[in-house]
Amino acid sequence: MTACTRCETALEAGDLRCAICALPVPSGPRTGGADAAAPVARVLRCTDCGAAVAFVAQARAPRCGFCGQTMAIEQPVDPIEEARQRVPFTVDRPAAEAAMRGWLAARGWFAPRALSREAVLESLTPLSWAAWRVNATAQVSWTADSDAGAGRSAWAPHAGETELAFRDILVPASRGLIEAECRALIPHYTLAPAVPVAPAGSPSGIAGAPGTSDAVAPGGMPEGMPGMIERFDAQRSAARAYVQNCIAIVARVRVERYIPGRRFRNVRVSCLIARQTTERIALPVWVLAYRYRGAPYRAIVHGQRPAVVLGRSPLDWTKISALVGIALVIAAIIVLIALTK
Amino acid sequence: MSEPGASAGVDRAAFTCGQCGAGLSFAGVRTQTCPYCASPNVVERPPAAHQPEPGLIVAFAGDAELARRQIARWLGSRTWFADARIKHARVEDLRGVYVPAYLYSAVAHTDYSASIGEHYTETETYEATDAQGKSETKTRSVTRTEYRPLVGRHVGYITDVLVSASTGLDHADLQAIEPYNYLHLRRYSPAVVAGWIAEEFSRDPDDCRRASRREAIDDIGMRLRRYMPGDSHSDLTWRTRVGWESLDPILVPIWVLAIRYRADRPLLRVVINGQTGAIAGKVPLAWWKIAIAAIVAAAMIAGVIFALARGEPPP
Repeated sequence: MTACTRCETALEAGDLRCAICALPVPSGPRTGGADAAAPVARVLRCTDCGAAVAFVAQARAPRCGFCGQTMAIEQPVDPIEEARQRVPFTVDRPAAEAAMRGWLAARGWFAPRALSREAVLESLTPLSWAAWRVNATAQVSWTADSDAGAGRSAWAPHAGETELAFRDILVPASRGLIEAECRALIPHYTLAPAVPVAPAGSPSGIAGAPGTSDAVAPGGMPEGMPGMIERFDAQRSAARAYVQNCIAIVARVRVERYIPGRRFRNVRVSCLIARQTTERIALPVWVLAYRYRGAPYRAIVHGQRPAVVLGRSPLDWTKISALVGIALVIAAIIVLIALTK
Repeated sequence: MSEPGASAGVDRAAFTCGQCGAGLSFAGVRTQTCPYCASPNVVERPPAAHQPEPGLIVAFAGDAELARRQIARWLGSRTWFADARIKHARVEDLRGVYVPAYLYSAVAHTDYSASIGEHYTETETYEATDAQGKSETKTRSVTRTEYRPLVGRHVGYITDVLVSASTGLDHADLQAIEPYNYLHLRRYSPAVVAGWIAEEFSRDPDDCRRASRREAIDDIGMRLRRYMPGDSHSDLTWRTRVGWESLDPILVPIWVLAIRYRADRPLLRVVINGQTGAIAGKVPLAWWKIAIAAIVAAAMIAGVIFALARGEPPP
């Protein structure tokens, strides 16, 4: 793998420019071109009938006007990405189900009392969701207002510059999980056990192709089985812009420790990112669908930490109505006392 | 895929057709369609300092028919003040041209200073007169701004600054139809320009580099305005040093067309972005419409003033 000469970011096959600093990648020596001393006029010819051909915008390729043959030329490379690594499951099916039951039982006072008992588990699917694992360094310049050095105003402006290293930043690329769910799951992953994903159709039986699913053994799941490996939600080009945005968001949080004072606002950063590497990784979760008194709900159990469960659960509207009623009565009494004084 | 035609003659712009051998002139362009056999010829010549080989190209995303539909929609959506004949104008001489340009990128280090305004609230007392004419002292809350100096450094990449390298299309015309979507860049190949007009680079690269730098520094200014903390700022000055500059020759697609809307007026030139369909052109205005609108507005204002002066509510 080669790297950009300006920012040392890793380049991938098919890259025309660096994704970070936009420096063009030098092309290899051209074949069939003009030599140093002899400019020539060339006619592009159809490989089938030999007639002259011209580039057709709709076909995005040269097409012969006589025989209709479209000629293959180098096309921009912008694939939908696939996971190259996955983090194995360490939570099996019974543990995931138990985690869900425990979570339902601890839903708080506003949840129906019978929730844990009456919830019917409809499906329990292992999913390896898609994310980018990013490493980079950045020279970050920042400005902010803080309470340090404040005068008549509560805020004073500050500026600075610092070097930051970003290691194993996980950026969600999931279509199935919403961003808030991904962000809640990410801090609880341990990436050290990550293993390579076998290519699609490999004899190992581990799914590498997007959208394929492995059979899950009844009653449990062999350790490390990937389940369904999710397809990435973005093409490579769009993904890079998103990843850069995420680095800026992380940088905005990380520079807070360099801002003097205890309170700050208007934190703004500008990043000169270098040496960025991006790996595609699949992270394990159990996706549970359950039904309570006819209504469907979804919950997610972390694939490595069963204590981390996210999801939606029903509310007991009788309890909520009673609470609102009591609050209204108390408010009315307070108003009445205030008026009689 | 391709085979060489005849080699260059004494004049470096004169070549022979690779299909039928007819003489072709390539003055200012790197493509030419043979008038005898209609074969699209593409010149390949070694790069020179003032005539570089394009490394990248943005290809056309649609054909002439799509461009005609875009222009018809654009003409139909012009303002009421436009000359009415423009909506029924005839499109003449529609050409798809690959325009030479330079794509500039660099690393920018900027030292800046500014005065940052931080708001604060104060309670002040003031004298007021009540309905009975008595003077009384009241208090009110007012927002004031405290200005503090800020000096700092800003770092960042400058990317995708595009400047025209064509004497036929100046930089302002190209800027009017930007941006191009560089996610769909291709590496330059004669196959992509075959059958289209591809203009040669005709501007001095050093001039283009200077123009790119100016645009980059303007862009840094816009970034700095968004980057300043506080509730407001003033006296922003900055000094930018650019390093790691890269000026890359590129071809970008445009449709150029002339519109005849009146026999007694010159043709209206319109430029369309050949990738995104963005259109730029100065539509002629009908001055009699503007004059009528101004007279109507003046009459309404005069009517309101007259009604107020007589102490009656305006009609």
